[in-house]
Amino acid sequence: MTERVFHRPWFRQSLVVLAILVLLSPVFAWAAEAVNYAEPLEHAAAVTGAASAASTILPGLFPDYSIPGLGPWVGTLVAGLVGTAVTLALGVAIGRFLTQ
Amino acid sequence: MHIPDGFLGVPEAVVIAGVSVLVLGVAARRAEGAIERGAGPVVGVVAAGVFAAQMLNWPIPGGTSAHFVGGALIAILLGPHLGALAMASVVATQAFLFGDGGVLALGANVFNMAIVDVYVAYFVYRVLRPYNESVAVFGAGWLGITAAALAAGIELGLSQAFAYDLVTTVTIMGGGHLILGLIEGAITILVFRAVVATRPDVFQERVRSGVSG
Repeated sequence: MTERVFHRPWFRQSLVVLAILVLLSPVFAWAAEAVNYAEPLEHAAAVTGAASAASTILPGLFPDYSIPGLGPWVGTLVAGLVGTAVTLALGVAIGRFLTQ
Repeated sequence: MHIPDGFLGVPEAVVIAGVSVLVLGVAARRAEGAIERGAGPVVGVVAAGVFAAQMLNWPIPGGTSAHFVGGALIAILLGPHLGALAMASVVATQAFLFGDGGVLALGANVFNMAIVDVYVAYFVYRVLRPYNESVAVFGAGWLGITAAALAAGIELGLSQAFAYDLVTTVTIMGGGHLILGLIEGAITILVFRAVVATRPDVFQERVRSGVSG
């Protein structure tokens, strides 16, 4: 099944598109940092005084899309690759599980 | 859009998580058996694409920024039930692997982005599609993310951390994403057009009826 999928042109093209998106992620991360990226959620927290209430119960294996020991560019890139691969696998698993 | 831990009270987070589990359970039952064999890779590619796209934060100088959420795209490509499950897998991956969104707040984040965004977007798409498909796709992206933000605004406004300031949280979350959602709608229609051009069979009635559930 896996081998057949990899031979399908649309799947290979999709992997190329995913790779391009991941390769772009460090650039967008740098640009977001440069403009002091803030979402409406952060604005709402600042206005209501809730910002200090944010806590971390589980930082995750790769906190804030970074890899310990790697710089921000390579770290974001590797984190993006890992996350994309994991969600790809989870999506395939969901699809297969629901067809059985 | 990803709520961290500490912003919601524990009882509120637990209740919303319970609702999310119930809705996803129903979604799984509705999607089960309605998917064609071999649809797994399509689900995987769409989920991975949404994850990768969510990493691209829009750098808007001097203003409020956001990132693509993809609820409408995933709903239109996979159907609402399978779309909700796929989006939930993305949100869970973000929380557990990257700490993007709290684990206690995971139920709320799933509710906002995988349930409200996906089902509202799909509803908008289905209502508008008979009139104009492009408007339907754009509207789904725009209103789906706005609805998700409103849901988050209500949840936050009902929490002690936000001083129960419901008006402020709903205004900032809803108003902010009502504007930023225009970008979501534009990206949704661009990607939709690209997918239709490269993988038209996804939208053939045979596959649509199977995958959309």
